[in-house]
Amino acid sequence: MRALRVARRYGDVEALAPTDVELAAGETVALVGPNGAGKSTLLSILAGAIEPTEGTVESRAKVGWVPQRPAHYSRLSARENLELFARLEGVHEPRRAATVMLERFALPATAQASGELSVGNRQRLNVALALLGEPRVLLLDEPTAALDPGQRRRVWEVADALRAGGGAVCFATQNLEEIEHSTRVIVLQDGEVSSLTVDEVFG
Amino acid sequence: MTATLLLLRKDLRVLLRSPLLLGALVAYPIVIALLVGLVAGYASAKPRVAFVDEDHIPPIVVVGGHRFHFQTVINDVADQVTLVRLSPAEADRELASGKVVATITVPPGFLGDLETTVVSPKVILKTGTGGLAPRVTEQMQSLVYQLNQKLQGGYIAANLAFVQLLLHGGKGHFLGRNFDVLGLDRTEAELAKLPPSKRVATIEHFVEQAKTGLAQTGDALRATANPITLEQAKSHGRTWILSAQVQSYGIAVTVTFLALLLAAGATAAERDEGTIGRLRRGLLSLGELVSSKVALAAVVGLVLGAAIALVFGIVVEAAGITGGEPWGRLPLLLAGVLLVGAVVGAAGALLGALAREARSASLLAVLIVLPVVFLGLVPRGALPFAYWLSLFLPFAHAVRLFGAALYDTSPWHTVGVEAAWLVGIGAVSWALARAGARTLSS
Repeated sequence: MRALRVARRYGDVEALAPTDVELAAGETVALVGPNGAGKSTLLSILAGAIEPTEGTVESRAKVGWVPQRPAHYSRLSARENLELFARLEGVHEPRRAATVMLERFALPATAQASGELSVGNRQRLNVALALLGEPRVLLLDEPTAALDPGQRRRVWEVADALRAGGGAVCFATQNLEEIEHSTRVIVLQDGEVSSLTVDEVFG
Repeated sequence: MTATLLLLRKDLRVLLRSPLLLGALVAYPIVIALLVGLVAGYASAKPRVAFVDEDHIPPIVVVGGHRFHFQTVINDVADQVTLVRLSPAEADRELASGKVVATITVPPGFLGDLETTVVSPKVILKTGTGGLAPRVTEQMQSLVYQLNQKLQGGYIAANLAFVQLLLHGGKGHFLGRNFDVLGLDRTEAELAKLPPSKRVATIEHFVEQAKTGLAQTGDALRATANPITLEQAKSHGRTWILSAQVQSYGIAVTVTFLALLLAAGATAAERDEGTIGRLRRGLLSLGELVSSKVALAAVVGLVLGAAIALVFGIVVEAAGITGGEPWGRLPLLLAGVLLVGAVVGAAGALLGALAREARSASLLAVLIVLPVVFLGLVPRGALPFAYWLSLFLPFAHAVRLFGAALYDTSPWHTVGVEAAWLVGIGAVSWALARAGARTLSS
């Protein structure tokens, strides 16, 4: 996946300065920077959720996206959300895919509305929805912010498995400890983009 | 299943799980149908009119030799109002308080004028200032016209009695004097007893001509008394009753209001839930997103429109209003409701996209729907600008389409024209909503 000079403006406000990003197979990239640097905007653009006001995104792989705020229909149950998005993704057996995700992320298979789930369960549903359709690139926007240590570990297991299988992962984080899970770090600050190795960050 | 249908199914499922909204959707057509029934009932209710008799008219009045039971005659012709006998003071008081909408006074000397026919007797009408005043004035004019017709019948009958007397002879009475008339028949008989002569033959010829002429007098009198009469032809077409018009408005208001609100709310909710970003990632085009909201508005509008038509149909059947039943026209009506729901839904999706937040979208929809409805109610001659503006909004077309679909004997022309307008408005709204939806994910 490659983004060339992508930028996003809202009127006079620059949400993301022109940025170049490249994700290669087998790497996990951490996206760091202060609040308002444009991390979420960059991930949304890479995911195709919003259009850049300039620049282009090229991708040869199926992309999964975990937005910062859980994005699902709060009056539908976890299963119904998973089935709906599986159908929209064109998954061959949506019901079965939903069951697999429910088990994989230990989500309740009841009819309880997803809006009534705990914050942790909603975030896990958020991640599960991103993995429908077996993406090769996974974009995560502060995916562990609301999770307990056990749930965090499960998310990183998923990300590591994807990378190990030849996929690519890019995640935004405010938690420097999570950089350990990355193979490369991109720093967004004051409209500047710099790429560092993990050793360079901690060195 | 297409993305549009998947999202429609999701929206319907969400709708069914929103108890407050669902309750409102169930209650709305019931309330509207009840209001329609009340308005229809009020529209056909007889207004109260005070009847003040200052001439103390006796129960039986003899005019032109004919006996009239005065109160019965008044009640027969005053079938559009309820006449209440009151004293002059009571009548004035009730008119001022609005308990009666008008007073009709028979002044002193009325009966004398009626019997002598020297001057035209007068009745005096006073109306209040309410909205019913013009209608009551028309009904009182109609009442006086019908009374005149009844009295004319009496006068004509009296005149014809004199003609019969001239034809056949006998005893007569006029202005207090009794007299005996020979009559043309007996004149003819008397002439036959005379020896034949040229003078007798001339008189016999005149008698014959006079008999022929007088035999035509009845029709001639009736024709001159009523040069033009209104004859109401009975037809077997459908009934255009005021309540039917109210039904068209009821369905149009319901579908417009709810379709606009639902589509606006459902569109903006995609942003509130954060799902628009997921959908925009190639799962759903903006056109499909707008179409799913249009379909939601159309389906819900169809169900509500059908519910109102069903309740109204049952009321019409129960009241025995022949020709007012909607059953035969339900397919055409429901097709119209589906179209109107879709068109208004497209406008609602546009509002939802512009408001970008469900609560704001709902508020905006409520604020917009009321002027849209009122513009649709403005008659062409009253405020031309408002009328022309309403042409580019769906409500007025919806009312005309429903009215034609339900009660026009040949509805196709009107239905075709209004459907074409609606399709045009819907297409423009859909295109604008699609363009507006681009901002939802930003």
